[in-house]
Amino acid sequence: MRKFLTAAVAAAAIFMAGPAMAQEPPKDPDAFRFGAILAMSGKGDWYGKVMSRAVLLAVDEINAKGGVDGIPLEVVIEDHKSGVAKEGVSAMTRLINISGVQAVLTSFSPPTQAIAPIADQQGILVLNGGGTSMALLGLTDMMFHNRTLASDLAIAAAMRAQELGLGNMAQLAWKNDAGESMIAAADPFWEKTGKSIVATEYMEIGAANIDTQVAKIRVSNPDWVALWAFSPETGLALKKLREFGVKVPLIGVEYTGDVKELAGASAEGYEYATDFFAPSAENPWSEQFAKAYRERYGEAPEFYAANYYENVYVLAEAIRRARAEGGDYWNGRRLAQVIRKSPTFPSVYAKEMTYQDNNVALKQVGVFRIENGEPRFEKFIDLNR
Amino acid sequence: MDLFLQLLVNGFINGSNYALLGIGFGLIFSTTGIVHFAYGSVYTFAAYVAWFLATSFGLALLPSMAGAIVAAIVLGVACYTLLYRPLELRRAPPLIPLIASLGLNIVLENLNAIIFGSGVRSANFTSGVYFAGPVFFTSVHIWQVVSCAVVVAALVLFLRKTRYGRAILAMTDDPNMARVVGIDTKKVSYIVFALGSAISAVAATLTLMKDGASTHMGFTAVFMGFVAVIVGGVGSLRGVIAGGLLLGIVESLGLWKISTEWQSSIAFIVLFIMIMLRPQGLFSIARR
Repeated sequence: MRKFLTAAVAAAAIFMAGPAMAQEPPKDPDAFRFGAILAMSGKGDWYGKVMSRAVLLAVDEINAKGGVDGIPLEVVIEDHKSGVAKEGVSAMTRLINISGVQAVLTSFSPPTQAIAPIADQQGILVLNGGGTSMALLGLTDMMFHNRTLASDLAIAAAMRAQELGLGNMAQLAWKNDAGESMIAAADPFWEKTGKSIVATEYMEIGAANIDTQVAKIRVSNPDWVALWAFSPETGLALKKLREFGVKVPLIGVEYTGDVKELAGASAEGYEYATDFFAPSAENPWSEQFAKAYRERYGEAPEFYAANYYENVYVLAEAIRRARAEGGDYWNGRRLAQVIRKSPTFPSVYAKEMTYQDNNVALKQVGVFRIENGEPRFEKFIDLNR
Repeated sequence: MDLFLQLLVNGFINGSNYALLGIGFGLIFSTTGIVHFAYGSVYTFAAYVAWFLATSFGLALLPSMAGAIVAAIVLGVACYTLLYRPLELRRAPPLIPLIASLGLNIVLENLNAIIFGSGVRSANFTSGVYFAGPVFFTSVHIWQVVSCAVVVAALVLFLRKTRYGRAILAMTDDPNMARVVGIDTKKVSYIVFALGSAISAVAATLTLMKDGASTHMGFTAVFMGFVAVIVGGVGSLRGVIAGGLLLGIVESLGLWKISTEWQSSIAFIVLFIMIMLRPQGLFSIARR
């Protein structure tokens, strides 16, 4: 009897609470204020410029259409000074305590890694579109990535080398977490192919002189050189390797305007695997974004711009879904819940993207080859192979 | 052995560049006592001016370098006139110009980015490639070594044979005594800021040719120049040259058998060892 009564009371409570929750009206803020912690100064300020431009464009577009369910978006941009972890933590603290944000867009691996425990503890949604380190995985359920991780890009590049039938590998990597994670992914992959790794050299971010590294790679007589670095050091590496007479294929993970400027003619024949943004008629949103970005900033958007533009729309869609459920929906934990509950979102790259169980969106990785200074699309790489 | 020879040559070439930076930085430091960290931003500005002249007007290396030298002199003298000189007149303690120079460096670094944009820049000067047995070098490398030798020779002649050169040596020796014997120390300070800045422009143009330019290139440059001065001995021209070459060679050969991930630590290790074993530097001023 007691069991029956307990069950009846529980059923009644669920019956009463269910409709009450469903009927609870959404508690709307005056504005959805979110943060963006980007490289606004320092050696990587190019990234901050591109990413912040895209964020502002997306915010203005959404607000011009009446905001999210009639409520405007507001962004507060903070600076992690090109990847300084403690600056990221300070920025995160300011965003939470002063600006009262519930969501933060972030970039670069070290600051993103550093703010993860704060996001976890304070319940702040974090959307990363730039940090590529493996170390970002599993830090918190509050963090989602729409940038293919560096380790996956490195494997895609190594898969390309394997397709080309290349032999011994030398690698030149950034001396940081992203570089280390690419080495950690590429080493076992390449050893499994039965080929050797004849040199592993490191360079600092912002390195001015890599002659020693290039000399060591040259004497190791590799069949190809893997460049596990991003802009602009990839450009310096291309220039120096070719200058020092290294004629073997060079395969990396990025080619930007800065890389092109530094490498010049040395970039000819260079191949790289990367997130691929190209506007296409199949996805009218991609064309509309590219057009709006070009009109506003006078240049074509690169994939970093696409990632951050897309992240603002992911945030807006998450807010919309959370608001539809009513109640106190404007908090990071509710936003993260709705993303996990239904992880597919419209994508500016293709029609849609889906966050995997590890919170990384699965996207297409393109392989490009530089011809006459411009990237020419070669093929897609299927990382699930 | 091939690698050893290549690294030795690389070290000598880089060392020539560090020596050049050290000569310019050290000339200002030893004469005026000002630790001019904004020297890095003057160097960056010169590189961007050379890039601008080369790409916008299609100028060759030497005219671009000449334009960069003029621009660096103007900026260097402006630094002294607008910041350090007023501090001198107010008899600010030595720490104040040091902090002011760090602040000025940040301001100028950002100004460079505003004027020229924050992206990296490279100039398409033609560069030959040469092989001597297993050792490889380019015409830019030759330029770096030759320009260091030319600057040193010209500076030695200037310091020994001209009135103002001897005034600089006197002021380096003892600024108070120089003032007592009637040397116009204000004018000498202007001259060393102009000379030091001009030397930075030579190094900057060659770095632009070799590795390209970025708005943040100045920090490493001024740091390497500073280490060359401390290792060689403040106020000693041959000391700075030895310090720069030693730094370049140790930095390069040090990585012969150890991983290149230690590259950025080597300059600090050289500095620490020198400070501990011979704080006065390899060649302290003999006259003192």
